[in-house]
Amino acid sequence: MTFWLVVVGMLAVTFGSRYGGLALRAELPAFWVRFLHFVPIAVFAALVTPALEGPRHEWGIRLAAAGLAALAAWRTKQLWVAIAVGMVAFWLLRLPL
Amino acid sequence: MARARIQSPFGLGFRAMAPLWLGVIPFGLAYAVTAREVGLSVLETQALSALVFAGSAQVSAAGLFGAGAGGLEIVLTTLLLNVRHVLYGVSLARRTPLTRRQRPVAAYFLTDEAFGVVTAANDRRFAFLLGAELSLFVTWNLATFGGALLGAAIPDPEQIGVDLIFPLAFLALLVPLVRTRADLSVAAASGALAYLLSRELPGGLPILVTGMVGSLLGAWLTRRQPPDTSFHADDAAREVA
Repeated sequence: MTFWLVVVGMLAVTFGSRYGGLALRAELPAFWVRFLHFVPIAVFAALVTPALEGPRHEWGIRLAAAGLAALAAWRTKQLWVAIAVGMVAFWLLRLPL
Repeated sequence: MARARIQSPFGLGFRAMAPLWLGVIPFGLAYAVTAREVGLSVLETQALSALVFAGSAQVSAAGLFGAGAGGLEIVLTTLLLNVRHVLYGVSLARRTPLTRRQRPVAAYFLTDEAFGVVTAANDRRFAFLLGAELSLFVTWNLATFGGALLGAAIPDPEQIGVDLIFPLAFLALLVPLVRTRADLSVAAASGALAYLLSRELPGGLPILVTGMVGSLLGAWLTRRQPPDTSFHADDAAREVA
Protein backbone atom coordinates (compact mmCIF):
# COMPACT_ATOMS: atom_id res chain seq x y z
CA MET A 1 0.00 0.00 0.00
CA THR A 2 2.81 2.40 0.90
CA PHE A 3 4.29 1.74 -2.53
CA TRP A 4 1.24 3.08 -4.32
CA LEU A 5 1.11 6.13 -2.08
CA VAL A 6 4.71 6.90 -3.00
CA VAL A 7 3.88 6.44 -6.70
CA VAL A 8 1.04 8.95 -6.38
CA GLY A 9 3.48 11.41 -4.79
CA MET A 10 6.06 10.82 -7.53
CA LEU A 11 3.41 11.26 -10.19
CA ALA A 12 2.18 14.48 -8.57
CA VAL A 13 5.60 16.20 -8.37
CA THR A 14 6.64 14.98 -11.84
CA PHE A 15 3.42 15.96 -13.58
CA GLY A 16 3.38 19.23 -11.62
CA SER A 17 6.84 20.12 -12.95
CA ARG A 18 5.89 19.16 -16.50
CA TYR A 19 2.57 21.00 -16.46
CA GLY A 20 3.73 24.08 -14.55
CA GLY A 21 6.01 25.34 -17.29
CA LEU A 22 3.61 24.60 -20.14
CA ALA A 23 0.71 26.32 -18.39
CA LEU A 24 2.65 29.50 -17.68
CA ARG A 25 1.29 31.92 -20.24
CA ALA A 26 2.38 35.45 -19.68
CA GLU A 27 3.73 38.16 -21.92
CA LEU A 28 7.38 38.21 -21.03
CA PRO A 29 9.74 41.18 -20.84
CA ALA A 30 12.48 41.23 -23.50
CA PHE A 31 15.12 39.98 -21.07
CA TRP A 32 13.18 36.76 -20.42
CA VAL A 33 12.43 36.24 -24.10
CA ARG A 34 16.19 36.27 -24.70
CA PHE A 35 16.62 34.03 -21.64
CA LEU A 36 14.30 31.44 -23.22
CA HIS A 37 16.27 31.50 -26.46
CA PHE A 38 19.25 30.15 -24.51
CA VAL A 39 17.37 27.49 -22.51
CA PRO A 40 17.78 24.67 -25.07
CA ILE A 41 21.43 25.59 -25.67
CA ALA A 42 22.28 25.58 -21.96
CA VAL A 43 20.20 22.48 -21.21
CA PHE A 44 21.51 20.38 -24.12
CA ALA A 45 25.10 21.27 -23.19
CA ALA A 46 24.30 20.26 -19.60
CA LEU A 47 22.92 16.92 -20.79
CA VAL A 48 26.10 16.21 -22.78
CA THR A 49 29.14 16.81 -20.57
CA PRO A 50 28.27 14.84 -17.40
CA ALA A 51 27.19 11.80 -19.42
CA LEU A 52 30.13 11.94 -21.80
CA GLU A 53 32.78 10.89 -19.32
CA GLY A 54 31.52 7.35 -18.89
CA PRO A 55 32.27 4.76 -16.27
CA ARG A 56 35.35 2.91 -17.39
CA HIS A 57 38.21 5.37 -18.00
CA GLU A 58 37.26 5.58 -21.65
CA TRP A 59 36.89 9.36 -21.74
CA GLY A 60 39.55 9.72 -24.42
CA ILE A 61 37.78 7.64 -27.03
CA ARG A 62 34.35 8.85 -25.91
CA LEU A 63 35.54 12.43 -26.47
CA ALA A 64 36.91 11.50 -29.89
CA ALA A 65 33.63 9.81 -30.82
CA ALA A 66 31.70 12.87 -29.64
CA GLY A 67 33.92 15.13 -31.75
CA LEU A 68 33.17 13.09 -34.87
CA ALA A 69 29.46 13.00 -34.04
CA ALA A 70 29.44 16.80 -33.63
CA LEU A 71 31.11 17.14 -37.02
CA ALA A 72 28.53 14.81 -38.57
CA ALA A 73 25.69 16.77 -36.94
CA TRP A 74 27.09 20.01 -38.27
CA ARG A 75 27.49 18.65 -41.81
CA THR A 76 24.30 16.60 -42.18
CA LYS A 77 21.91 18.03 -39.52
CA GLN A 78 20.60 14.46 -39.19
CA LEU A 79 20.26 13.10 -35.68
CA TRP A 80 20.61 9.45 -36.63
CA VAL A 81 23.69 10.07 -38.79
CA ALA A 82 25.45 11.84 -35.91
CA ILE A 83 24.60 9.05 -33.46
CA ALA A 84 25.67 6.34 -35.92
CA VAL A 85 28.99 8.06 -36.68
CA GLY A 86 29.70 8.54 -32.98
CA MET A 87 28.81 4.99 -31.95
CA VAL A 88 30.69 3.30 -34.81
CA ALA A 89 33.76 5.42 -34.01
CA PHE A 90 33.44 4.54 -30.32
CA TRP A 91 33.10 0.80 -30.92
CA LEU A 92 36.02 0.77 -33.37
CA LEU A 93 38.27 2.79 -31.04
CA ARG A 94 37.60 0.57 -28.03
CA LEU A 95 38.48 -2.67 -29.87
CA PRO A 96 41.45 -4.26 -28.16
CA LEU A 97 44.34 -4.15 -30.63
CA MET B 1 -2.28 5.04 -47.34
CA ALA B 2 0.84 3.99 -45.48
CA ARG B 3 2.48 6.98 -47.05
CA ALA B 4 -0.24 9.32 -45.84
CA ARG B 5 0.17 8.00 -42.32
CA ILE B 6 3.92 8.48 -42.37
CA GLN B 7 3.46 12.07 -43.56
CA SER B 8 1.06 12.92 -40.76
CA PRO B 9 2.55 15.23 -38.13
CA PHE B 10 2.07 12.51 -35.51
CA GLY B 11 3.98 9.98 -37.65
CA LEU B 12 6.73 12.52 -38.36
CA GLY B 13 7.14 13.22 -34.67
CA PHE B 14 7.10 9.52 -33.86
CA ARG B 15 9.84 8.83 -36.40
CA ALA B 16 11.91 11.88 -35.39
CA MET B 17 12.44 10.18 -32.04
CA ALA B 18 13.48 6.83 -33.54
CA PRO B 19 17.26 7.49 -33.43
CA LEU B 20 16.97 7.62 -29.65
CA TRP B 21 15.26 4.25 -29.24
CA LEU B 22 18.56 2.41 -29.31
CA GLY B 23 19.70 4.46 -26.33
CA VAL B 24 16.44 4.16 -24.40
CA ILE B 25 15.84 0.42 -24.71
CA PRO B 26 18.94 -0.72 -22.77
CA PHE B 27 18.09 1.75 -20.01
CA GLY B 28 14.50 0.64 -19.78
CA LEU B 29 15.79 -2.92 -19.48
CA ALA B 30 18.41 -1.93 -16.90
CA TYR B 31 15.88 0.03 -14.85
CA ALA B 32 13.46 -2.90 -14.80
CA VAL B 33 16.16 -5.36 -13.76
CA THR B 34 17.21 -3.04 -10.92
CA ALA B 35 13.63 -2.59 -9.79
CA ARG B 36 12.98 -6.34 -9.80
CA GLU B 37 16.22 -6.97 -7.90
CA VAL B 38 15.20 -4.68 -5.04
CA GLY B 39 11.94 -6.56 -4.77
CA LEU B 40 9.36 -4.64 -6.77
CA SER B 41 6.80 -6.80 -8.57
CA VAL B 42 6.38 -6.78 -12.35
CA LEU B 43 3.25 -4.66 -11.92
CA GLU B 44 5.00 -2.15 -9.65
CA THR B 45 8.00 -1.93 -11.97
CA GLN B 46 5.71 -1.28 -14.92
CA ALA B 47 3.55 1.18 -12.99
CA LEU B 48 6.51 3.47 -12.37
CA SER B 49 7.27 3.55 -16.10
CA ALA B 50 3.65 4.15 -17.08
CA LEU B 51 2.71 6.65 -14.35
CA VAL B 52 5.92 8.49 -13.53
CA PHE B 53 7.75 7.99 -16.86
CA ALA B 54 11.04 9.56 -15.79
CA GLY B 55 14.11 7.35 -16.13
CA SER B 56 16.53 8.85 -13.65
CA ALA B 57 13.82 9.31 -11.01
CA GLN B 58 12.65 5.71 -11.46
CA VAL B 59 16.16 4.29 -11.06
CA SER B 60 16.72 6.43 -7.97
CA ALA B 61 13.36 5.40 -6.55
CA ALA B 62 14.16 1.73 -7.09
CA GLY B 63 17.46 2.21 -5.28
CA LEU B 64 15.74 4.05 -2.42
CA PHE B 65 13.00 1.41 -2.11
CA GLY B 66 15.75 -1.18 -1.91
CA ALA B 67 17.54 0.78 0.81
CA GLY B 68 14.30 1.02 2.79
CA ALA B 69 14.04 4.80 2.44
CA GLY B 70 10.93 6.68 3.54
CA GLY B 71 8.20 7.67 1.08
CA LEU B 72 8.74 11.38 1.60
CA GLU B 73 12.42 11.00 0.83
CA ILE B 74 11.61 9.24 -2.44
CA VAL B 75 9.04 11.85 -3.49
CA LEU B 76 11.39 14.75 -2.69
CA THR B 77 14.22 13.10 -4.64
CA THR B 78 11.83 12.73 -7.56
CA LEU B 79 10.91 16.42 -7.36
CA LEU B 80 14.58 17.39 -7.26
CA LEU B 81 15.35 15.25 -10.30
CA ASN B 82 12.33 16.38 -12.34
CA VAL B 83 11.77 20.06 -11.57
CA ARG B 84 13.91 20.92 -14.62
CA HIS B 85 10.83 20.13 -16.72
CA VAL B 86 9.44 23.53 -15.72
CA LEU B 87 12.12 25.09 -17.93
CA TYR B 88 11.26 22.78 -20.83
CA GLY B 89 7.58 23.62 -20.52
CA VAL B 90 8.12 27.37 -20.56
CA SER B 91 10.42 27.09 -23.58
CA LEU B 92 8.13 24.67 -25.41
CA ALA B 93 4.94 26.66 -24.79
CA ARG B 94 6.37 29.57 -26.77
CA ARG B 95 7.15 27.31 -29.71
CA THR B 96 4.17 25.00 -29.91
CA PRO B 97 0.76 26.59 -29.37
CA LEU B 98 -1.36 24.33 -27.16
CA THR B 99 -5.02 24.47 -26.25
CA ARG B 100 -6.15 24.03 -22.69
CA ARG B 101 -7.05 20.40 -23.34
CA GLN B 102 -3.79 19.58 -25.10
CA ARG B 103 -1.63 21.00 -22.32
CA PRO B 104 -2.04 18.24 -19.70
CA VAL B 105 -1.53 15.56 -22.37
CA ALA B 106 1.64 17.23 -23.64
CA ALA B 107 2.79 17.64 -20.04
CA TYR B 108 2.23 14.03 -19.00
CA PHE B 109 4.57 12.65 -21.68
CA LEU B 110 7.19 15.44 -21.64
CA THR B 111 10.83 14.29 -21.44
CA ASP B 112 14.34 15.59 -22.07
CA GLU B 113 14.32 13.75 -25.37
CA ALA B 114 10.96 15.09 -26.57
CA PHE B 115 11.98 18.63 -25.65
CA GLY B 116 15.21 18.11 -27.59
CA VAL B 117 13.70 16.63 -30.73
CA VAL B 118 10.80 19.10 -30.92
CA THR B 119 13.04 22.10 -30.29
CA ALA B 120 15.39 20.98 -33.06
CA ALA B 121 12.62 20.25 -35.58
CA ASN B 122 10.92 23.09 -37.35
CA ASP B 123 7.45 21.79 -36.59
CA ARG B 124 5.10 23.58 -34.23
CA ARG B 125 2.13 21.24 -34.38
CA PHE B 126 0.75 19.55 -31.29
CA ALA B 127 0.49 16.23 -33.15
CA PHE B 128 4.23 16.32 -33.92
CA LEU B 129 5.01 16.92 -30.24
CA LEU B 130 2.65 14.13 -29.18
CA GLY B 131 4.12 11.74 -31.75
CA ALA B 132 7.65 12.36 -30.47
CA GLU B 133 6.53 12.04 -26.85
CA LEU B 134 4.59 8.80 -27.34
CA SER B 135 7.40 7.34 -29.42
CA LEU B 136 9.57 7.46 -26.31
CA PHE B 137 6.77 6.45 -23.92
CA VAL B 138 5.95 3.29 -25.86
CA THR B 139 9.60 2.32 -26.23
CA TRP B 140 10.37 2.97 -22.57
CA ASN B 141 7.40 0.93 -21.39
CA LEU B 142 8.06 -1.99 -23.74
CA ALA B 143 11.69 -2.05 -22.60
CA THR B 144 10.53 -1.95 -18.98
CA PHE B 145 8.21 -4.88 -19.58
CA GLY B 146 10.95 -6.87 -21.32
CA GLY B 147 13.42 -6.19 -18.51
CA ALA B 148 10.90 -7.05 -15.80
CA LEU B 149 10.28 -10.43 -17.42
CA LEU B 150 13.79 -11.30 -18.54
CA GLY B 151 15.57 -10.28 -15.36
CA ALA B 152 19.28 -10.39 -14.86
CA ALA B 153 20.15 -12.06 -18.18
CA ILE B 154 20.44 -8.58 -19.68
CA PRO B 155 23.83 -6.99 -20.35
CA ASP B 156 24.76 -3.77 -18.57
CA PRO B 157 24.30 -0.80 -20.96
CA GLU B 158 27.60 0.67 -19.78
CA GLN B 159 29.41 -2.54 -20.71
CA ILE B 160 28.33 -2.34 -24.34
CA GLY B 161 28.72 1.44 -24.37
CA VAL B 162 25.18 2.39 -25.42
CA ASP B 163 25.06 4.86 -22.54
CA LEU B 164 27.05 7.08 -24.95
CA ILE B 165 24.02 7.45 -27.26
CA PHE B 166 22.30 9.87 -24.89
CA PRO B 167 25.08 12.52 -24.79
CA LEU B 168 25.73 12.03 -28.52
CA ALA B 169 22.07 12.72 -29.30
CA PHE B 170 21.99 15.93 -27.29
CA LEU B 171 25.30 17.04 -28.78
CA ALA B 172 23.80 16.49 -32.25
CA LEU B 173 20.73 18.52 -31.24
CA LEU B 174 22.92 21.27 -29.77
CA VAL B 175 25.32 21.81 -32.67
CA PRO B 176 22.84 23.38 -35.16
CA LEU B 177 21.45 25.69 -32.44
CA VAL B 178 24.82 27.36 -31.96
CA ARG B 179 24.81 30.20 -34.47
CA THR B 180 26.28 33.25 -32.75
CA ARG B 181 29.20 33.98 -30.47
CA ALA B 182 26.79 34.35 -27.54
CA ASP B 183 25.32 30.92 -28.31
CA LEU B 184 28.81 29.41 -28.33
CA SER B 185 29.75 31.11 -25.04
CA VAL B 186 26.59 29.83 -23.38
CA ALA B 187 27.10 26.28 -24.71
CA ALA B 188 30.72 26.14 -23.54
CA ALA B 189 30.05 27.69 -20.13
CA SER B 190 27.01 25.45 -19.58
CA GLY B 191 28.89 22.30 -20.53
CA ALA B 192 31.67 23.12 -18.09
CA LEU B 193 29.32 24.14 -15.28
CA ALA B 194 27.16 21.02 -15.61
CA TYR B 195 30.24 18.81 -15.59
CA LEU B 196 31.48 20.37 -12.35
CA LEU B 197 28.03 20.30 -10.70
CA SER B 198 27.41 16.68 -11.67
CA ARG B 199 30.27 15.61 -9.42
CA GLU B 200 28.52 17.07 -6.38
CA LEU B 201 24.77 16.89 -7.08
CA PRO B 202 22.33 14.13 -8.06
CA GLY B 203 21.06 13.59 -11.65
CA GLY B 204 18.58 16.24 -12.67
CA LEU B 205 19.72 19.08 -10.45
CA PRO B 206 22.85 20.10 -12.41
CA ILE B 207 20.66 20.37 -15.52
CA LEU B 208 18.20 22.68 -13.79
CA VAL B 209 20.90 24.90 -12.27
CA THR B 210 22.88 25.02 -15.51
CA GLY B 211 19.75 25.73 -17.53
CA MET B 212 19.03 28.75 -15.33
CA VAL B 213 22.60 30.06 -15.07
CA GLY B 214 23.47 29.45 -18.73
CA SER B 215 20.29 31.16 -19.98
CA LEU B 216 20.83 34.12 -17.65
CA LEU B 217 24.35 34.43 -19.02
CA GLY B 218 22.99 34.41 -22.57
CA ALA B 219 20.31 37.00 -21.85
CA TRP B 220 22.96 39.19 -20.24
CA LEU B 221 25.44 38.76 -23.10
CA THR B 222 22.80 39.81 -25.65
CA ARG B 223 21.47 42.76 -23.60
CA ARG B 224 22.49 45.29 -26.30
CA GLN B 225 20.74 43.46 -29.12
CA PRO B 226 17.43 44.70 -30.50
CA PRO B 227 14.67 42.71 -28.80
CA ASP B 228 13.17 40.60 -31.56
CA THR B 229 15.71 39.57 -34.18
CA SER B 230 17.62 36.82 -32.38
CA PHE B 231 14.53 34.78 -31.72
CA HIS B 232 13.09 34.78 -35.24
CA ALA B 233 16.28 34.28 -37.20
CA ASP B 234 16.92 31.18 -35.27
CA ASP B 235 13.48 29.70 -35.31
CA ALA B 236 13.68 29.68 -39.09
CA ALA B 237 16.96 27.82 -38.93
CA ARG B 238 15.81 24.88 -36.85
CA GLU B 239 15.81 21.96 -39.15
CA VAL B 240 17.42 18.93 -37.54
CA ALA B 241 15.77 15.68 -36.55
